[in-house]
Amino acid sequence: MKLIAGGFPRLLLLGLLLAASGWAQMRTVTLPSKSPVVNLRIVFTTGAMMDPPDKPGLAHLTAAMLAGGGTKDLTYKQVVDAMFPMAVSLNSQTDQEMTVFSGTTHVDNLAAYYKLVQSMLLDPGWREDDFKRVKDEAINALRVGLRGNNDEELAKEVLYATLYRGTPYGHYSLGTVSAVEKMTLDDLKQFYKQHYTQSNLILGLAGGYPAAFLDEMKKDFGALPQKDESPVPAIKPEPVDHTRAVIVEKNTRSVAYSFGYPIDVKRGDPDYPALLLMQSYLGPHRMSGGRLFQRIREIRGINYGDYAYIEYFPRGMFLMEPSPNLARRSQIFQIWIRPVEPPQAAFTLRLAFFELDKLIHNGIPAEDFSRTKEFLSKYVNVLTKTKNAELGYAIDSLYYGIPDYNSYVKNAIAKLTLEQVNAAIRRHLRADRIQIVAVAANAEQLKQQLTSPAPATIQYNSPKPADILAEDKIVGKFDLGLRPADVQIVPVASVFE
Amino acid sequence: MVWKFLLLAAAAAAVVSAQVKTFPFAYTQQDLPNGLRLVIIPTDSPNLVSIFIVVQTGSRNEVEPGKSGFAHLFEHMMFRGTAKYPPEKYNQILQRAGAASNAYTSDDLTAFYTTFSKEDLPQILAMEADRFQTLKYTPEVFKTETGAVLGEYNKNSSDPEEKLDEVLHDTAFDRHTYKHTTMGFLKDVQDMPNQYDYSLKFFDRYYRPEYTTIVVAGDVDPKRVRALVDQYWGNWKRGSYHPDIPAEPPQQGPRENHIDWPSPTLPLLAIAFHGPAYSDTDKDWVALDALATLAFSRNSDLYEKLVVREQKVDQLSAYMSQSVDPNLFEVEARIKNAGDMAYVRAQILDTIKKFQDDLVPAEKLDAVKNRERYAFTMQLDNSQSVAGTVARYIGLRRTPDTIDKLYALYSQLTPEDIRAAARKFLTENNRTIVTLTGPAAAGGAK
Repeated sequence: MKLIAGGFPRLLLLGLLLAASGWAQMRTVTLPSKSPVVNLRIVFTTGAMMDPPDKPGLAHLTAAMLAGGGTKDLTYKQVVDAMFPMAVSLNSQTDQEMTVFSGTTHVDNLAAYYKLVQSMLLDPGWREDDFKRVKDEAINALRVGLRGNNDEELAKEVLYATLYRGTPYGHYSLGTVSAVEKMTLDDLKQFYKQHYTQSNLILGLAGGYPAAFLDEMKKDFGALPQKDESPVPAIKPEPVDHTRAVIVEKNTRSVAYSFGYPIDVKRGDPDYPALLLMQSYLGPHRMSGGRLFQRIREIRGINYGDYAYIEYFPRGMFLMEPSPNLARRSQIFQIWIRPVEPPQAAFTLRLAFFELDKLIHNGIPAEDFSRTKEFLSKYVNVLTKTKNAELGYAIDSLYYGIPDYNSYVKNAIAKLTLEQVNAAIRRHLRADRIQIVAVAANAEQLKQQLTSPAPATIQYNSPKPADILAEDKIVGKFDLGLRPADVQIVPVASVFE
Repeated sequence: MVWKFLLLAAAAAAVVSAQVKTFPFAYTQQDLPNGLRLVIIPTDSPNLVSIFIVVQTGSRNEVEPGKSGFAHLFEHMMFRGTAKYPPEKYNQILQRAGAASNAYTSDDLTAFYTTFSKEDLPQILAMEADRFQTLKYTPEVFKTETGAVLGEYNKNSSDPEEKLDEVLHDTAFDRHTYKHTTMGFLKDVQDMPNQYDYSLKFFDRYYRPEYTTIVVAGDVDPKRVRALVDQYWGNWKRGSYHPDIPAEPPQQGPRENHIDWPSPTLPLLAIAFHGPAYSDTDKDWVALDALATLAFSRNSDLYEKLVVREQKVDQLSAYMSQSVDPNLFEVEARIKNAGDMAYVRAQILDTIKKFQDDLVPAEKLDAVKNRERYAFTMQLDNSQSVAGTVARYIGLRRTPDTIDKLYALYSQLTPEDIRAAARKFLTENNRTIVTLTGPAAAGGAK
C-alpha cells in the first residue's frame, strides 16, 4: 500500500525499539478491519474530577484548548485549513474520569491527519488569542447552550452537581462561569503537564490503518511524562436522607424534571446486568416500548418522552444513543421527564414516582421479563453499530475491566432470572429519599403544588379509559414526601455561574 | 421527530471525475405494479438490517391554512396501531427484535426507520406493511397523541434558534408552504386535537404506494427481500391525490424582522435569500451549496476574521437548503455583543458582494470538492447511515441515482458558476434578515 511506504518511512525500524522502552506498555485498544475509514480515540483517564477546587472546568478547558487551538508550528487557522479538504476534525469530550480526543479520517489521509492530531496533543501552541476564543466558547456553552437553550439538560446537570456536592464530581464538567473567566493559560499548562501522562493514556484505533501505525503512535505519545503523580480521589456521595428538590427558575414555557440518587453499581459490578435490564424495562431514550414512555406519553399524552438511566448520559437532546467514554466509578439512577405543560407538572412527577414505587414493590412482571431480556441482548448490537462506537465501548470495557461490552451484556443477561433482577431492584432502588430537580417558570407555584397534601389532578383533551382514570386518582394522592423546607429555589442566572 | 437537513451541504458532494461512482454500493431499484418503489442495498456489515420507509410528504404538503405541522403529527399517528398490531403488540415485537426504531419529518418527506437483527426481517416487513395499509385510531387516541406533539414543541421551545428559523421562513415566504416549519406554528399545534377528520384525509391522500419507497440496507438477500415485499405490500391500493402546492412569487424587495427573546441569550442574526430548488442537472443549487462552504465555513476568510481573529462571533454557518421546491440560502451568526450586530451584518453582506464581484480561486474550489467527497464516503460507515443517506435523496428524486448525478455536477463546477449563482440569487430584492436579542445587558461571555 502506498500509504505505508510514503507516509510512515520510519515504521519498520521502530518495532526494534519498542521492547526497550516504557511506552511499549502503553494501554491500547485496536479494532483493525478492511474499512477505508480509520477512527482514532485517544483517551486520558483524567477529567473534571481532577479540577482544583477553585478551578472547576479546568480539565474541560484544557482539552478544548488542545482540540480547538493551534500547535507550536501551526496557527489554529492553519490547522483548520489543513483539515478542511480531508473533511476531518478533532473533537474533545471531557467528563469526570475521562477525556477523549476523537476523529475519523479516510485512510488516504491518515498520515496527514495524524500528523496534525499528534502536534495538537503533544506540541500545543498555547496561544493567548486561541485561549480567549476557547474560553468564550466555554462560557457561552454554560450561559447560553445549557442555561439558556436546553432546560432538560440543565435539570440533569443540576441533579448531578447536587448529588455529588462535596465530592470531586460535585461540579459540572464545564465548570462555572466565574471560575472559567479567571483561568489562565498557566493553569491549563499545569493541568496538562500533570495529567496528560502515559499512565493515563489509552490509544484507541479502528479501521483499515496500516499494521505498523499503532507503534508509530505509541512512540510519539511516549514523549508524554510517564506518570500522573496525583492520587485518584475517592468518590463518596452523601446519601440522600430525605426527598429534596431544587427548582431552577427561568422564563420558559414548560417544566423539565430529572430526579434520582447515587447507586453503588457500575459496569462490571455483579448487579449491573440486572439494573441494565431494569433500565430497559423502564425505558432508555427514545425506546417507545419502555414502561415510562408508555404510561406517561403513549397513554396520557403528557410529553415527548420519559426515560430511566443507570449511567451518565449527557446531550440526550441531540443523541439517540449515549456516547462512549463517559465511564465513571460512581453512577446514579435517574429518571428524565421531558418538558411538560405547567398545569400537568405536579401530576406528572407523582406519576413517575408512582411507577418507580410500583416497580420496586411488584418487580418486573413475568410477561415483560423475557421480552426485555431479548430486547437487551439484541439492542447492544445497535449501540455498537459503528466502528467508532465499538471502539469507544471497547475502551470503556478496558477501563471497567470487563470483556467486550456485547459479550459481557449478552452472557450476563442470558443467565439472569426474574427473581435476581427484582432482588437487585429492591437492593438498589427506592421511591423515597430522592433528589428532584425541576426547571420551571413559576417556581413558588410549583413548590406549593409539589409539597401540598392536596391531590394533584390532570385534565385530558379526550376521554380516557376507566382504569386510567382510577389510576390517576391514586397517582394524584401519591405522597412525594417533599417538605417545603426541602425545596430550594434558585434563579437560573446563578446556576453554574 | 422533526428533522432539518442543515448538514446536507456537507453531504451533497463532489467527485474529481464524473466517471467515478460516488455512492459506493451496488443497489437495485424496482417498482411494484401498485407504484411502490423498493431499493435494496446489500452492505458487508454483518447481522444488522436497516429499513427506511420514505413517504414523499412533509410540511411542504401542508397546503390548507391552519394545518401546519400536520405531516409531522401524522408521523406520530403511524405508531398508533392497527387491528392486527395494536401499539402494545407492535412495540413488543420491536422490543423482541432489539430494534432501534424511529421516524422523522422534514419539509419534503416523512421517514420511518428500523434497525434490527437480520432474522427479524420478515416480521418487521409484515408489521410495517400492516400499519401503512390498515392504520386505525380513535379520536381519543388521536387527541392523546397531539399532546405528545405539543410536548415535542415544548422540548424545542427553549432554544431561540428554533424561533429564529420559524420567523425567518414566515417572513421570507408569502405563499409557498416552506413559509412554516415542519413543527408548525404553535397555534396550529395547539389546535391539532380538533383535527381528527383532517388526519384521516391526510392518511388517505399521502400514505399510498405511489408516494412511498422502501429502502433496505444491510445483511440481506435481495431476492428474498423482493419476495417478502411482494407478499406483504403487493395488495396496497394506489391513490389519486396530487397536491397543488402554491409557487412562491418573486420577492419584490428586502425584508426584515426582529424577535425579542424573553430570557438571556446571545444575539442571533440570520441573512437569507430565496435560492433554487435541489437539482442534479442545473448547476445553480450545487454552486450555492459550494458558496456556503467557501464563504462561511470554518476555513473561510470571514470565519477567520469574525470568529478566530476578532472574536466578535462565536458561531457562523451557512447552507443552501436541499429541497424539492426553491428554498432559502441562509447565513447565521451568533454574536457575542449586541453592539456588533450591524458590523457583522455588513461583513456578511460584503462577503457576499465579493463572491458576486470576484472569481473564487480554483484551488479553493478544489479543496471543497475534495472535502465533500471524503465527507460523503466517511458517513456511510454502517447500514443505518447508508439507508438514511439514500432516504434523503429519495425525498428529493425518488432514486439513489441522483447521488452520482449530483456529485458529477459538483465535479464540473467552476468559479464562474459560483459567481453567476451569487449574482442571480443573493440579491437585495431577494433578501430577508431576521435578528433575535434577549433582554438588555444579558448574554454570554463579555
